[in-house]
Amino acid sequence: MSEVLKVDVGTAIDEIAPGSRARQQGRADRRRTVFVRCLQLGILIGWFALWQLTAELQILDPVLSKSPVQAWEWFVQAVESGELWSNTMATMTAVLISWVLASVVGAVFGLALGLLPTVERVIAPFLDAANAMPRIALAPLFIVAFGIGITAKVALACTLVFFIVMSGARAGVRSVDQEWLRMSAVMGASKLQVFVKILFPVATPAIFAALRLGLIYALLGVVGSELISAKDGLGQLISKYSSLFQMEAVYAILILLSLGAVLLNLLMLAAEQWLLRWQAPSDM
Amino acid sequence: MTTAIATDIDLRNVVVEFTSPDGENNRVLNGIDLDVPAGQFIALVGKSGCGKTTLLNAIAALVEPASGSITVCGANPRAARKNLGFMPARDALLPWRSALGNVEYGLELRGVGKQERRVISRKWLDAVRLSSAEKLWPWQLSQGMRQRVALARTWALDPEILLMDEPFAALDVTTRVAVQEEFLRLWQSERRKTVVFVTHDLGEAIGLADRVVLLADGDVLYDVDVGIERPRDLRDIAADPRFQEIHHRLRSAI
Repeated sequence: MSEVLKVDVGTAIDEIAPGSRARQQGRADRRRTVFVRCLQLGILIGWFALWQLTAELQILDPVLSKSPVQAWEWFVQAVESGELWSNTMATMTAVLISWVLASVVGAVFGLALGLLPTVERVIAPFLDAANAMPRIALAPLFIVAFGIGITAKVALACTLVFFIVMSGARAGVRSVDQEWLRMSAVMGASKLQVFVKILFPVATPAIFAALRLGLIYALLGVVGSELISAKDGLGQLISKYSSLFQMEAVYAILILLSLGAVLLNLLMLAAEQWLLRWQAPSDM
Repeated sequence: MTTAIATDIDLRNVVVEFTSPDGENNRVLNGIDLDVPAGQFIALVGKSGCGKTTLLNAIAALVEPASGSITVCGANPRAARKNLGFMPARDALLPWRSALGNVEYGLELRGVGKQERRVISRKWLDAVRLSSAEKLWPWQLSQGMRQRVALARTWALDPEILLMDEPFAALDVTTRVAVQEEFLRLWQSERRKTVVFVTHDLGEAIGLADRVVLLADGDVLYDVDVGIERPRDLRDIAADPRFQEIHHRLRSAI
């Protein structure tokens, strides 16, 4: 009798411990990663070189033809003068506030809708209509209502992030396995316990994916609002320098924004990896 | 003078009906009478759709009977839930909890303190010989291991009655026998819990249970005491004449 059980445990141990074949796989993977990184670096350098070239040759309109070197020079002086820092802070503060606020509300709303199918049926068409409207069109309205401070930016970004996170939570809750609910019911779980201990963890992967998307859209919403009218922020800087035809500044800020977005995305991915480490790898 | 044995589960004329999607009224249980005394291991068998899982669900208060009464430990099924342990067909392990976390789940729901929870869960995980797997995630466990974690989770709550819905159906033959023996060992090691075991496998039913009830179309067709002595050797039990007699009778009735 015990031999069979030992075999069971034994096979399991084999399943989890990395064998030598796994290590060889690791080396091949790493070589490929290095190769990929080299290619990516090459593309990046190539792109900058091309940009520099087109700027020097003035292939485009002289107003637009500003080189990476010029953008860098503007960047350095903007950092030194403090202008870049204060505006970046203004934008990122608005992004953070709107993202956190709208995500919490969106997640709770989405979870609740997932649990109340009748309510969902009633509200769904209204939500879909609201989501279909280009929210950027609300920006002037918010600016008139709240002024050119941080509130208008946060308001606009919230309208974007809310729907994203709500959809994620709603979808996440649906993927709950009925067996878990049955078992919890027989174990005497209260509705609150089911909500916290089952529904929330079930929805977490979907919520997390939505959070990651939401962050990007929060940035979009804030910068969008700033472009239209704001007293500070990176979007406002882009607007100002565009009207002054100082395109090198605009290019520098655009690159900064995309770097920022990439960084945020990477941070979220890392957080997701850690929080969701209980998930089976997708190639299983 | 005889002392009355406390009946753990008592079903009287239980009728359960379901409305099918096209509006028809489906009678799944047709007035079932069943007495399960405390400490008995009873197996419910029958082909798919005979109502055995519905009967189990009715005892667990997951399904309301249209008429008739069900008494569990002297109370109605919902009130008696705290005395029940439920093992579903698939292990229903929560994927975001480690093996130990899963065993702790029921205790957490009951508000048992963290230290005490840990101790009890570790003890039961050890009883099913999975101490080394306590930090693993469910996806890292084999089917047999998962079912054993589910066993530990159920046993950690120390229920008086165990309701089991084809718990070993998803296991391959070798693992199944090993887990069955593990289960019997646990069951026999202390004051015997009442077990209601649903299965479509006649051999499993006769091998494990004290009593086998055959259901067909919502009625009890056969109710037979197994009468084979314990402890039983599950590998050789098929050779036992009494086993073969019951197996033959049940199989011809299905």
